[in-house]
Amino acid sequence: MKHKRWLLISLMLIFSLLLISCGGGEATTDTEESTPADTTESADTAEEDMVEEEADTAVEDVAAEADVANIEQIRIAVVMPSTITDLAWSQAIYDSLLRLQAEAGGPDVMEIAYTENMFNVTDAAAALRDYADEGYNIVLAHGTQYGTSMFEIAPDYPETTFAWGTATDTGADQGLTNVFAYEARAEEGGYVNGVLAANMSSSGVIGVVGPVEAGDAKLYIDGFEAGVLAANPDAQVNISYTGSFGDTALAAEAANTQIAAGADVLTGSAQQVVGAIGVASEQGVPWLGTQSDQSPIDPDVVVASQLYNWDGVLSDIINKHQAGEYGGSAYALTLANGGLVMDFADSLDADAVAAAEAAEASIVAGDIDVNAAIAGEAPAAADDEAMGMEYPDLEPVRIALVMPSTTTDLAWSQSMYDSLVILQEHYGADNFEIAYTENMFNVTDAAAAIRDYAADGYDLVIAHGAQYGTSLFEIAPDFPETSFAWGTTTNTGADEGVTNVFAYEPRAEQGGYVSGVVATYLTESGIIGLVGPVDAGDAKLHVDGFLAGVKDTDPDIQVNVSFTGSFGDTALAAEAANTQIAAGADVLTGSSQQVVGAIGVASENGVPWLGIQADQSPAGPDVVVVTVLYDWVPTLLDMITANQAGEYGGRVLQLTLENGGQTMIYDDSLPAEAVEAGMAAEQAIIDGSIEIVAEPRN
Amino acid sequence: MNNGDLTTLTIIVGILHSGIRLATPYLYAAIGEMFSQRSGVLNLGVDGIMLMGAFFGFFTVFKTGSLLLGVLAAAFVGGLMGLILCVVSITYQAEQGISGIGLYMFGLGASSLLFKTMLGTVEGIQGFSELHFCVGSFCLADVPVIGEIFFNHSLMTYGAYALVPLAWWVLNKTTWGLKVRSVGQNPEAADSLGVNVIQVRYTAVTLGGVLAGIAGASLSISLLGIFQENLTNGMGFIAVALVYFGSWKPVGVLAGALLFSIVNALQLWVQVLNLNIPSDVAVMLPYLLTIIALALPFRRSLQPAMLTKPFTRGEN
Repeated sequence: MKHKRWLLISLMLIFSLLLISCGGGEATTDTEESTPADTTESADTAEEDMVEEEADTAVEDVAAEADVANIEQIRIAVVMPSTITDLAWSQAIYDSLLRLQAEAGGPDVMEIAYTENMFNVTDAAAALRDYADEGYNIVLAHGTQYGTSMFEIAPDYPETTFAWGTATDTGADQGLTNVFAYEARAEEGGYVNGVLAANMSSSGVIGVVGPVEAGDAKLYIDGFEAGVLAANPDAQVNISYTGSFGDTALAAEAANTQIAAGADVLTGSAQQVVGAIGVASEQGVPWLGTQSDQSPIDPDVVVASQLYNWDGVLSDIINKHQAGEYGGSAYALTLANGGLVMDFADSLDADAVAAAEAAEASIVAGDIDVNAAIAGEAPAAADDEAMGMEYPDLEPVRIALVMPSTTTDLAWSQSMYDSLVILQEHYGADNFEIAYTENMFNVTDAAAAIRDYAADGYDLVIAHGAQYGTSLFEIAPDFPETSFAWGTTTNTGADEGVTNVFAYEPRAEQGGYVSGVVATYLTESGIIGLVGPVDAGDAKLHVDGFLAGVKDTDPDIQVNVSFTGSFGDTALAAEAANTQIAAGADVLTGSSQQVVGAIGVASENGVPWLGIQADQSPAGPDVVVVTVLYDWVPTLLDMITANQAGEYGGRVLQLTLENGGQTMIYDDSLPAEAVEAGMAAEQAIIDGSIEIVAEPRN
Repeated sequence: MNNGDLTTLTIIVGILHSGIRLATPYLYAAIGEMFSQRSGVLNLGVDGIMLMGAFFGFFTVFKTGSLLLGVLAAAFVGGLMGLILCVVSITYQAEQGISGIGLYMFGLGASSLLFKTMLGTVEGIQGFSELHFCVGSFCLADVPVIGEIFFNHSLMTYGAYALVPLAWWVLNKTTWGLKVRSVGQNPEAADSLGVNVIQVRYTAVTLGGVLAGIAGASLSISLLGIFQENLTNGMGFIAVALVYFGSWKPVGVLAGALLFSIVNALQLWVQVLNLNIPSDVAVMLPYLLTIIALALPFRRSLQPAMLTKPFTRGEN
């Protein structure tokens, strides 16, 4: 798979080089069969800020009906990331152009030129400039990723109109006067599709095949999920992103996986979904489409669609252009203005359609605020808010992190870094500065780094390791107005007169206990293997809790514990896992960054793995079944707000299940009784009815 | 607690099988380092070279799916890193202890940076799988004890062991091997006999780099099938120690690598068996044994006389 994609990218590179060497004379290409690669479209993510930034320009509300009967002769060019037959984003706008052309009086009145497969932004920029040069009146850059280049080109052709989307930025603040922006509020139709899906599904499991988490795909999926949960709070929406817009094969595989996981209704977006629809068609699973009408693939399976109708937007742009207004407006397709059209097949259950149409009407009338619904239910970052977490207002803050491993270690160091990044995303990089030093396995080096950060004026310096404590207590008194923090520990140095040190400690025995309970349901041999680093810190707590959890649930199950003596010896951890398996273990767990080696072995042998600290599923997506995730956000906020209130240290902060510092993630593949037992244990720990007793060990 | 169904035989087989596999990266790296040191150059950057080899080997396999290309990429990058050390330590005669550490830091940082920008997160690949030596339905790997211990490893593991006699032969039976030994022992004499000391040291250190690169690849694309930042975790330094332990001889290096790895495997089993020994003691075992072995009165005089000493024509 990877092999193929690499080949494809190389071929395309060669192809695009050839194109450039042709001198850009004939930019219009008609390679309908080539599948676009994902390389440049991931640029969407980088440009996301631009999309979300509210532009000064008011969003124009135009009717969906075209009004081009009386236009003068006009030439329109569009540069698109995919093809005019992609049944998705690119096709939607091309179809609109064709409709306008027919209405305006044919190619003599309205000339259309297009360039497909511009997944390479540099090529796209060349095509945009060529079209403007050749005197096209309106040039459409049909992709967020083209914005930067287009803003450079537009000033050179002041009488040419440019337009781009998904975007709300017309470049007015940069002095541009000839740029229109457009976007599809895909979350609205997503919500309606979600309500429909919830009413159609009998398994209660609905699968989503997304491209990348950005642009209109993200809007659609967020809206969809909110719609499903509004109609049926017990339903489960499984979302899988392929990481690409054009990886049809992967989208097909994702659909297969979703069906295997119990989904009986599917949806998704981007041109890759043709693969997923193929699978849906084979398996007879209904598909809800978006962007373009995807029913040509299989009218029996594609039962509902949110269609993008750009007619009104395009005709308004044309009319404005001919009236001498070359840019400056931003457009949005909505259900209310008819830019988004819901299309339901006749074969659908009447009640389901009625529910969906009611939702549609409520959105149009303003009775349902889709974005508010999303904010209540959206995954990941918004989780904290759902749990009652609120982000307090903060002064600008600078935080430095000194860690023993790396920001990508899938364990201790990464868990802290990820939480800092979540906060930074919330407060913005200007108000929340993060600096970090990795691989500080040498305590003397770490001490130097800690002192440097304090001297540089960082407000909070986190020494993320129990080994740094001694140095920290020597440094802290020299910087009385800097807050320091360290862990795993409960010692703030108050006995030594230190006042500006926070101590933190994940109560890993809690998550460990829950993991232990779940593990008993997974073992058949009655032997569970644990691969630990050294018998100290949060690793020790994890082991204590895990052993207690197993013993309390099934005393006959044996847990073999082996410590490697190191946090980073990946090879030895792998060998320890091999040894555990040879000794009969059929379930494995462990902690610290070295365990990626053990997870590799678990993957190879198909042995389930229960992880802790960070989400380790990238190292073994099929075997990581339980994760005790450390969420440092509440702890960090506690320390920052204390610091800004003039309290520089002295507190001991713990990460527990109760305060949300630890979150249990259960994989869908787990038996229901195991998950229930795990959740019951969680609840019992929170309400205090389980007391975790650490047995003495060797 | 009991491990009733585990027979002593299962445990012994398990320990030996693990030990043989664990020794793989040490063997490649230490044999390479041995060539370098025999020519008179101490390369403390082995760990950094291993990391670069591990990354490029992994990345190549990740992108192309070709294991052979992965090994070649690792070897090439390892050789390149070796050449860098040659320029610094041999041509510019920098203090070898320091330039090696510099190379290590470079390898550690560069491999992390490349990992972050080109992969971003830990990913898995299908690396070298274990061979079973099957003829029809009969597999050598299924032969009790012998088969389970010896005929159940990947190609890269066998390659590491094949390297031992090969290295002995190159060092003792070829002209180039003689030159390597002579420039490490008495470069002035070698020089007076027309041996190009600088050139021989360049080739020996570069070969050491190639093997260190392959050592890294043996971790990332054979033993583990993943790449993680600082994957080697100091293995390169243990490889350097193994060269001293092995008295600069391939067989000695083999003995050291096996001893270290088997004791490591042993300590893992000790813990799994819930023997009444604190885990800390078990973890100490391999290092304890290494120290004892190093302290034994082996012939220290075997050390290349001119190790770490740069050579300039016409001096002395």
